[in-house]
Amino acid sequence: MAANVFSRRALQATSRRLVAANPSTFSKTPLSRLPAPAAVAMGQHIQNRQAATTQVSQSGAQDILAAQRRHRPVSPHLAIYKPQVTWYLSALNRITGATLSGGIYVFGAAYLAAPLFGWHLESASLAASFATLPILAKVALKSLVALPFTFHSFNGLRHLVWDTGSSITNKQVIVTGWSVVGLSVVSALALTFL
Amino acid sequence: MAAASRASLLRQTQFLASSPTRLFSSTTQPLRLLRTTPSISSRLLLAPKWSAVSRAAPFSTTSQRNLLPPGPQVIEGTVNDPAAVPKVDPLHGSYHWTFERLLSVGLIPLTIAPFAAGSVNPALDAALIFSLIVHSHMGFQSMITDYIPRHKFPTMRKAFSWLLNVATVVVAIGFYEFETNDVGVTEAIKRIWHAGENDATIGKTDLSSLGHDGKLKNLK
Repeated sequence: MAANVFSRRALQATSRRLVAANPSTFSKTPLSRLPAPAAVAMGQHIQNRQAATTQVSQSGAQDILAAQRRHRPVSPHLAIYKPQVTWYLSALNRITGATLSGGIYVFGAAYLAAPLFGWHLESASLAASFATLPILAKVALKSLVALPFTFHSFNGLRHLVWDTGSSITNKQVIVTGWSVVGLSVVSALALTFL
Repeated sequence: MAAASRASLLRQTQFLASSPTRLFSSTTQPLRLLRTTPSISSRLLLAPKWSAVSRAAPFSTTSQRNLLPPGPQVIEGTVNDPAAVPKVDPLHGSYHWTFERLLSVGLIPLTIAPFAAGSVNPALDAALIFSLIVHSHMGFQSMITDYIPRHKFPTMRKAFSWLLNVATVVVAIGFYEFETNDVGVTEAIKRIWHAGENDATIGKTDLSSLGHDGKLKNLK
């Protein structure tokens, strides 16, 4: 009696564990696939899965998508590229151009506004105040103007040559690039000290 | 059915987007402070030295080398819509390019002339500075086109374009004033460049410049 009960309980426990571990073995018998007649009769043979949903408008969905896109990895930027004379000079061409043009724009606007603020930006007073600067400041200011000017001028010639379709092999671009660096440094020094 | 699943997917993405505690996500700067980062020792223990993936993964999925934060994500149409082809206009294309080159080529003699001749007449000087202003305007325009894409920052693009237009007009008027009231750009640069160069000779009279009467010969 006792042994019988124990063995029956052991069998139950084992089968429960098996069902829990691998439900398909037991639930997918040919018989179990048939709908239970009682459930069909009561209209309860359709499964309903309850899920909380919210209505999202078209623009709301776009906002969610846009917010999600901001969390995508950002592709690596300039810092991953090997420093090369080709793209360094390309960047420098824009930087020097922006510097020189910015200087022209600042002076032009300031000269027009000078009477309003009582500034003296006439060439005579500018020259007089420049003359009072210490020699180091003079050299620094002159080279700060001369180097971007010479570089942008020589590199502009390089760009114009490229626009005709010549000197665009990798080797030629590197050679002309270093030539422009040398020429602009030498001519900037000449302009500063001569 | 499809609508329901899309809504639940959207909810999931919303949850992902709003959770700041994910590791290795490229969230913006303030959120990174809230995130727990593994200490160096534990990271070393977790990632064996030979694993290239463990070293590359944080690099490509974090914002640690993020020079520019991602801008606003503008979604136009669906994935099935073709990209809009801009309207063909030679004024925005080849004519613009050709004018830009002609202006640059024209700047070459205008730049060389003052150095070669020592000084230039007012007309050439004006031609130089106004060519430079137009050249600068086109340069700034291409910078705005490059760095402020219209589909991402339409308002800022418009604002900067108009700011540039106004600035160019102001600067042109300023240089018109300078050219008409002052000595001209090249002469002004020359004077400033050589300002105070003869300071060292002040007080020391060069004997060769003195006339027979002991006065300076070339006194103006």
